[in-house]
Amino acid sequence: MNEIVLETKALTKYYGSTLAVDHIDLKIPRGCICGFVGRNGAGKTTAIKLMLGLLRPTAGLSRLLGCDSSALTPAIRQRIGYVTEGHRLFRWMSIGGLEKFQRAFFAKQWDDKFFADMIEYFELSKKQKIKHLSNGQRAQVSLAFALAPNPELLIMDDPTLGLDAAIRRQFLEGMIELIMRQGRTVLFSSHILGDVERVSDRIVVIDKGVLRANCSLEQFQKAIKKAILSFADSAPDEVNIDGFLHCKRSEKGLELTLVGTDDEEIAEWAKSAGAENYRIVKMNLEDQFIEFTAPANHRRLFQWEER
Amino acid sequence: MRFSALLRKELRECLPWLLLAAIVLLVFGGFFLRAETYYESDRHYSRLSAGTVVDHYQLTFYPTLNLTGPWLFCLSIGLGLVLGIRQFWIPHFTRTWPFLLHRSVSRKTILTAKLTAALVACVISLGPVWIGLYWYANRPEVFAIPQTPRVFIEGWIFIMLGLVAYLGTALSGLSTANWYTTKIFGLVLATIIIVTTLSQCTLAGIFAVIAVSIAILLVQIFDTFLRREY
Repeated sequence: MNEIVLETKALTKYYGSTLAVDHIDLKIPRGCICGFVGRNGAGKTTAIKLMLGLLRPTAGLSRLLGCDSSALTPAIRQRIGYVTEGHRLFRWMSIGGLEKFQRAFFAKQWDDKFFADMIEYFELSKKQKIKHLSNGQRAQVSLAFALAPNPELLIMDDPTLGLDAAIRRQFLEGMIELIMRQGRTVLFSSHILGDVERVSDRIVVIDKGVLRANCSLEQFQKAIKKAILSFADSAPDEVNIDGFLHCKRSEKGLELTLVGTDDEEIAEWAKSAGAENYRIVKMNLEDQFIEFTAPANHRRLFQWEER
Repeated sequence: MRFSALLRKELRECLPWLLLAAIVLLVFGGFFLRAETYYESDRHYSRLSAGTVVDHYQLTFYPTLNLTGPWLFCLSIGLGLVLGIRQFWIPHFTRTWPFLLHRSVSRKTILTAKLTAALVACVISLGPVWIGLYWYANRPEVFAIPQTPRVFIEGWIFIMLGLVAYLGTALSGLSTANWYTTKIFGLVLATIIIVTTLSQCTLAGIFAVIAVSIAILLVQIFDTFLRREY
């Protein structure tokens, strides 16, 4: 029953001669919370805009809720919440004015009580003008506007960018409100791995426009490993172990970053390479992400199938 | 409901500029018209000797159109430029296009709401003031001979030229080309249309130029707005 709500096939986008998104094949099943991560300029915003039909793909296609992104109908858009990068809203409007404007597009879906509760929870007033809100408050208002119509699919472009830790936590708790509603799917881009770790159950990694990983968070965390080996003499010149990403060398040691390699395989290779001893170091998600997207690994794709 | 929400939003965004244009036209147009009443007409009449033929053009067309007309023309063009910039340039800088375009309406509806708002804005801002000035100039105690209907119509032509300026600005704002290439095409086209219109002698010629050019600009704007990326 894994209905696909978001799908891309060889989605590609060039800006002039610059390749921003490179043949992305992605499937996001209903009900998952997907963290869409990548470094600055990795192509996250471009990919999201392509998915929402705001940009035209150079090649490939994208489908949201079964509808081609380049021809999203008003009825489909009604089912998709979108939080724009930087929470860009009409600055001259008050929260109440914007609520009135927004409600006109979601007549039957708009949840007045939920919106009022969210505004109260964030300690805001409907009389406040958007231009007088801080970045954090604008993010909160933006989230409230995206959640009040109870969307089936919520897409957020770097929603916690520039927010302090306390506001970020409040924002994520607001997101969890939606997650708790059955069958809702969330895709949010971020480069704050702590946020992704806190709320996501799936991770999509994009690097220089290339899809590098699309799997459950658990699989990703299990797969990326660091092995530190020390040698009596000098370290071997060549490293030929499955899943090898890159290594750092010292005179008598090697620090290997591996993906999807079993502990037994590492032990076997350490033995065959003549290592004096070795240890496998557990990394947090941020370190795993940094190692995984290090420049040397560019264009190596690791995609795990759902089990 | 959705269209009216969009229309209200667009009109509200333009409101300060509409009020400003109307007030400036009323104050300056009215001031010059009144000054003309007191000084210029007085000068004409005082020099008339018995049996002099009074030039109808001099008494009617000259005061209203030459003194208030340039104000109306400049304000109309200025308002058109401001509306075009507000509706189609500013959203690029404030990055609100994605938010607006993700509303549950078609792009065509969003654009129609913008264009309707601009049309309504130009008409409700400058139109009533122009009617008021024409009515004032037509009072017997102001000018001895009534203003011709052509004067009144030419005022509305100026308002329509403001719309042409608006459409040209909109087209330039939507263009994804570079400045030094075709981005200014819309503005250049609008300028050519305005100059061509002003050089027409007959009302039929003027209306024909305006109608054809507005149609061309609208087709271009719809095509660009529906196709472009945001």
